[in-house]
Amino acid sequence: MPSTFRYNDSIRELCREKLVVNLIMGKSRKTVQICILIAVLIIGGYAIGSTLFAADDKGPLKDGSIPPEFELVDLEGNKQKLSDYEGKAVVVNFWGTFCPPCVKEMPEFERQYAKWKDQGLVILAINLSEDTLTVNNFVRRFDLNYPILRDVNRKTERSYGLKSYPTTFFIKPDGSIMEIKVGGMTEVDIDERIERLLQL
Amino acid sequence: MLVVENTKCECGHQNAVGTVLCESCGKPLENNDISDLPLEMRYDGVARRSQKSNPSYIDKIWNFFSSVKIAIYLIVITFLTAMLGTIYPQENTFINNFDPSVYYEETYGLPGKLYYLFGLSHTYESWWFIGLLVMIGTSLVICSLDRVLPLYRALSKQQIRKHLQFIHRQKTVYKQTIDGDEEKWVEQLGAQLKKKGYRIHRDGTALLAEKNRFSRWGPYINHIGLILFLLAILARSIPSWQMDSYITIPDGDTVQIANTNYFVKNEKFTVEFYTDDELPDKLKGTARAKLFETKAVLYECESNCNDQSQQPVLKEVMKHNIIVNEPLKYKGLKLYQFDFDTTPRLNAVHPILIDKQTGEKYGPFDLPMKDSALQHKLGPYTLDLYANYMEFAIGDNGEPTTLSRDPNAPAFVFTVKGPGLDPDGEPYMYFPMQKDKVKFSQDAINHAIADKIEIRVDGMENVDFSEASTYLNVRMDKALPYVWIGAFFSMIGLLMGSYWQHRRIWLRVDDGQLSLGAHTNKNWYGMRSDVAGALQKIGITVDPKSLDNGGNNA
Amino acid sequence: MSLVDFSSDAFIVAFFLYCFAFMFYVIAIAGKKWSNRDPIQHEKRWGRIAFITSSLGLASHLTFFFTRWAGSGQIPTSNMYEFMTFLGMSIMIAFTIVYAIYRKPLLGMFSLPLTVIIVAYASVFPQEVQPLIPALNNYWLKVHVTTAALGEAFFAVGFAAGLMYLLRVVDFKGKTKEAKRSQFWVEFSLYSIILIVGFIVAVFAFRGMGYEAEFIQQKSVIDSKGIETTTEETVYYTLPAIVKPYNSDTVKFDSFLGMSEPIFEAPYWMNGANSGRKLNTVVWSIIAGSLLYGLLRLVFRKPLGAVIHPVMEGVDAEDLDEISYRAIAIGFPIFTLGALIFAMIWANIAWGRFWGWDPKEVWALITWLYYSAYLHFRLSRGWQGHRSAWLAVIGFVVVLFTLVGVNLVIAGLHSYSGV
Repeated sequence: MPSTFRYNDSIRELCREKLVVNLIMGKSRKTVQICILIAVLIIGGYAIGSTLFAADDKGPLKDGSIPPEFELVDLEGNKQKLSDYEGKAVVVNFWGTFCPPCVKEMPEFERQYAKWKDQGLVILAINLSEDTLTVNNFVRRFDLNYPILRDVNRKTERSYGLKSYPTTFFIKPDGSIMEIKVGGMTEVDIDERIERLLQL
Repeated sequence: MLVVENTKCECGHQNAVGTVLCESCGKPLENNDISDLPLEMRYDGVARRSQKSNPSYIDKIWNFFSSVKIAIYLIVITFLTAMLGTIYPQENTFINNFDPSVYYEETYGLPGKLYYLFGLSHTYESWWFIGLLVMIGTSLVICSLDRVLPLYRALSKQQIRKHLQFIHRQKTVYKQTIDGDEEKWVEQLGAQLKKKGYRIHRDGTALLAEKNRFSRWGPYINHIGLILFLLAILARSIPSWQMDSYITIPDGDTVQIANTNYFVKNEKFTVEFYTDDELPDKLKGTARAKLFETKAVLYECESNCNDQSQQPVLKEVMKHNIIVNEPLKYKGLKLYQFDFDTTPRLNAVHPILIDKQTGEKYGPFDLPMKDSALQHKLGPYTLDLYANYMEFAIGDNGEPTTLSRDPNAPAFVFTVKGPGLDPDGEPYMYFPMQKDKVKFSQDAINHAIADKIEIRVDGMENVDFSEASTYLNVRMDKALPYVWIGAFFSMIGLLMGSYWQHRRIWLRVDDGQLSLGAHTNKNWYGMRSDVAGALQKIGITVDPKSLDNGGNNA
Repeated sequence: MSLVDFSSDAFIVAFFLYCFAFMFYVIAIAGKKWSNRDPIQHEKRWGRIAFITSSLGLASHLTFFFTRWAGSGQIPTSNMYEFMTFLGMSIMIAFTIVYAIYRKPLLGMFSLPLTVIIVAYASVFPQEVQPLIPALNNYWLKVHVTTAALGEAFFAVGFAAGLMYLLRVVDFKGKTKEAKRSQFWVEFSLYSIILIVGFIVAVFAFRGMGYEAEFIQQKSVIDSKGIETTTEETVYYTLPAIVKPYNSDTVKFDSFLGMSEPIFEAPYWMNGANSGRKLNTVVWSIIAGSLLYGLLRLVFRKPLGAVIHPVMEGVDAEDLDEISYRAIAIGFPIFTLGALIFAMIWANIAWGRFWGWDPKEVWALITWLYYSAYLHFRLSRGWQGHRSAWLAVIGFVVVLFTLVGVNLVIAGLHSYSGV
């Protein structure tokens, strides 16, 4: 019996030997090399590639980037999505009653809206998560006719990475940002930008 | 460059190109190598896999990564560039609303600007740093593969009787003339070596003693671990495998974790400070935090999760008191205590209305700071909420306004109808906070109505406020188990390779002349004392140091 | 007497025992050439005496460590004083292990002064027990710090052996360019060590004189939310302020040798806590160290390397090379475990991420990469001996920068206070 064991052992040894020799010098050698190099190429390419693309996605919004989608409720209780207005020139303005330049801008937007709405201008004014009474009182006082959307718990504002108020996003019909204006604007500023936006 | 080399050894074994020592008998093969300096024993002198007489394009790339020299260069370049990244803080140390293009120049001037322009402000995420890591990974795979297989082959079929040149040119050598039975002598020494843990293989008067061969696999196991580790790190960039965000939750609030279906409620945040007794003199009187704790509840949203017009339907899934080092953990999601803010925030008051003529009290009624009911009926009185302000102030135009959306100085304007008042209602201004009541002289604003009624809070039990807000760090990392597995393998490999050494002793007796050579991959000192110790046991005393045949400690 | 007080006494005992052990090791080596004695017997005898003394010192040091632990209720590795004393103790442990293997008294002659310097350096820092902030109160942290320090201690022994190798093999009489260069750098290494001694001397001298200066520094801090705030901070100096903190006003200034106000202001980019004071300390270390070095040169009238070189005669250089390599090879897995793996486990528990590219973490990685390059270099031809000894010496500089330098220059999460 022991001799059979030894025999089996040596057969096994031989096979192992053959496999190793094959991997080192035989025909498999080239295949192994190519497989490993391709794996390196794919995995390494993915690793390096993802750093290059990550640089684009992260960081604050800038001109040319695609603004995040939102779905918010207006004062009448209708849901409004940004994507509802695809193909149109959209002005998204973040405002609050507690911010004097925002308050000053609202009637100006109202006039601009009246001037340009026939040419397809959309203004979406997103309130900065204030309470219903405050917003209603304000809108009644200034008699605003463009959609006022209600952000809840500062969610949309955060996804837009807002730093200060007001901030206005001019969005082109193709869905990308033409310009981000941080801070208040004069009516002339608004007018000039909307005109540019509508020509695109 | 290379002529076809004759790689056949005099013992008849056919060796591969690049072989330094015959794979069978160990005779040095380099043709003109006739010196008697110690031999180059790396990888037992076998040809590295990559060495080939006419390399193709693929072979060239392969050979590049197969070189230990290149591997060392890669390591050196990596740590040198890693140093650059520590000069200024990296971008990822800043959390919110931070614009690197401005920050570095503003804070550090021109060097800061250049630092940013060269991309050093995100060194460790840059394509070239990742590229270096990828190259190190490649080198790990190819170097190991190229060496481990030939080494395995060489070690698994060792010849016992080695060429004399091979033995005499080891780093540890002993020669001696032996009297008496040679076989018996060899057996005796073999028995002594066996006691020292060697495995003995004999072939007549030749002997091979070997121990701890497994330690040779240590570096390769370590390298496998490192590759696993690198792959695990890479896997973290797969979308949804990793998350890292921050949320602020005032006491009592429930907040959604962005991009997930989870909501977290902060039932109560508490912070405890060290008392002066526990602090050394220098720190007495300072607020040194001892413990912060958030009583948190985690909910999973079942419907209406992202619909802003309706309340989400939540199901409680877990309750946990989060303290530093003890996060809330649920299905790979982890909530860590990160920071806190102890600015109190008023949530609601429950005031009463007093008829000043009769002294009658009505109420209390609920008056939350946000989205209160528009009408409150209190006995004969009706209060219609007309306006509210979170941080009341008088604007430049003389009109009331609010300075923020947080209830820092809340004010409510009611139209009050009731006995003794104008049937159309009279305005009444109410400041829930005593300091504002005084500051804006509530009674003076309210004129005559202030003599008829008063709205006020009776006792602190009728005031709801959040004492603090907790800042939680939300994290998810699905690659983590693989990271640990990689680290574990790497560590095991390191231990194997460092704390055990592969030792071999070859000896043969030719006509009463003993030739003994010994080799180890590390720790020659131990090698020599093993040999000297075994010789001592059979009656031969040698100074271990005298066994040293010169050469380097590889 | 409380346990903490008792532990302080044990610490002082340990310190003096180390000093004596050092002297005995010097006697064991240098005394071999004294007349009327058998050199081998002499070395054996005094080597044993020295080893017993240094082991007693270690025992006393361990007593300090455990009684302080028991007395304060927390493992004494949480501030700079405690950490540096622990590092000193680890070096003694590493030395004892390596000595047990190789039994070379010479090693003691170099490891002990290293321990003495580090322990003395530790005593410069405030010694009271400080309660831990919550983030540091974790089991894994203790394991991380202790294991990492032990690994670094082996690197320190590797450094000592490497430096010995250089002092042994460098030709101090050589006139070739190569010999000159080696002489210079060996001398520079010795000078650097003397700078640290100079620092300790300066601190204790001025502390003895009761020197004080005080500044108010305006600091703008950007917090984790990106909001910039300006804070005022009072900075106390115990060394005469040659360099005052960046953007600061003098409140109090004891005059010293006619100097009545600071000469320079610290540069803005030194961001660590109290960086102005630290820079001032560095300046003083250079002054005191250079004075000390000059004094030694005056006494011996030749370079210090040339003074030590003859003592090393008869020592087998190859043994030193192997000891250096082996100490590093023993330390490397311990360092990997402590400074990287345990650190990652702890970071994962405390901050929810196992790696965050914090400067201290990066420097631990750099140290690790450096020593892995060293270990691979050893595999290559021509990198043993001389070059490898230099790598071991430079490696310890990297370790020291990771431990001390990072806190000095770069601000980060590892909040050890500094002088």
